[in-house]
Amino acid sequence: MALVNPDFAAELKAYGVDTPLECFNCGTCAAICPLLFEHFPRKMIRYVQVGAKEKILQQAEDLWRCLHCGLCTQTCPRQANPGELILGLRRYVVAQARRA
Amino acid sequence: MFNPQDIIDLLAANVRQTRNPFGVPASKFNTWWKDAGGFTRRPGDALLFTGLMYQAIPYIEATTRYLERLEGSSWAGYLRYSRFLPASLRGRGLAALTSAAGKKKFNGILHTICRLLKKSGAGFFYHPEMDFYSGILLYDLGDQDGFIKHAQFVDKTLKLHGVSKIITVDPHTTYALKELYPKYTGATFEVQPYFSQLQFQAPAAGNGKPPVVLHDPCLYGRYLQLSEGPRRVLKNLNLEYVDVRNCGEFTSCCGGPAESVSPALNREILARRAGELKAAAAPVVTFCPICLANLLKAGLPVEDLASLVGRHMA
Ligand code: SF4
Ligand code: SF4
Repeated sequence: MALVNPDFAAELKAYGVDTPLECFNCGTCAAICPLLFEHFPRKMIRYVQVGAKEKILQQAEDLWRCLHCGLCTQTCPRQANPGELILGLRRYVVAQARRA
Repeated sequence: MFNPQDIIDLLAANVRQTRNPFGVPASKFNTWWKDAGGFTRRPGDALLFTGLMYQAIPYIEATTRYLERLEGSSWAGYLRYSRFLPASLRGRGLAALTSAAGKKKFNGILHTICRLLKKSGAGFFYHPEMDFYSGILLYDLGDQDGFIKHAQFVDKTLKLHGVSKIITVDPHTTYALKELYPKYTGATFEVQPYFSQLQFQAPAAGNGKPPVVLHDPCLYGRYLQLSEGPRRVLKNLNLEYVDVRNCGEFTSCCGGPAESVSPALNREILARRAGELKAAAAPVVTFCPICLANLLKAGLPVEDLASLVGRHMA
């Protein structure tokens, strides 16, 4: 069972992830994303919202599939910056790995 | 897919050692300027800053051919133990794997850009010791510390040389210098892509050829909103072009950014974009060395904006 960390979203602010709570899970980003991959990036944003830090770390490799193409950010109706959020999660994962 | 951390460690170590991600001193592959006829710096001139992107494409391709064979094989995991690419893919070994034709082609684009800028009366100069890789790949891959340290070095060196205005030639370097450096190093350079500097005295007649189809790189189309610049140049010269549905702000990625962690994913995205462009049944023109090299790989008839305009203005 995944552990839920309610402070996760706040922890991510240091990595430039400051808009996850804007997301209302409409899925526009996943529909337009050229990766066509398991509800990416919406799924990752949902994990951040619910504080499922372990899930993000387990699936961390998927973050590097992102092309940083910006289509999701361009089309998000909530300005939740999904593409930048994925980039911020990469920064978080790299920092965790370096600390380990 | 490779373990991203292995790739990041490898690239970060190369950038620390050689100031570029290839682990090869820039003097080995940044040689285009030797045949460019010399440059004089006058007060107020902008520095032509290539970011070492066009001239590095033959090296990137040689490295990718190696990674492509490795990906998915039982050897992929060994990347982390070598830390760097094998000796055969570094320094003189890498230089030997790159074709003379590839080097000539990509260096030739830089020569053409210089010629077009001169013809337009743009005030600029070039000096190889002021031209660096921007660090953008470290930023894209999430190595924030590595990127910031490298960007600070570049920013400081350019300031020491009194550089305040910069002309760029590719979208990745333009994005780094225009958007990321101000945010992360406090840089205040005035940064313009070369095509915004192209002003030809009299609008030339068209070339009488059928239209080309444009492929907008994501960074120019969405992040920097500069798609109109190349179109303005073509319109002024009466060179005909068409757009595909996914263009400008809604352009489709060519897949190039995936290449460093997954050549296979790049191929998948590339095939989709190539299909969209093929539907236009016209030669493709783009304005990014990564897109250019990638679309060539898909077997499309594609050339750089500078090559098309340069031929017309010869
Ligand atoms: S498009 Fe925006 S609001 Fe909709 S799921 Fe994606 S990030 Fe959330
Ligand atoms: S930026 Fe990444 S997540 Fe967003 S649409 Fe592009 S590939 Fe998908």
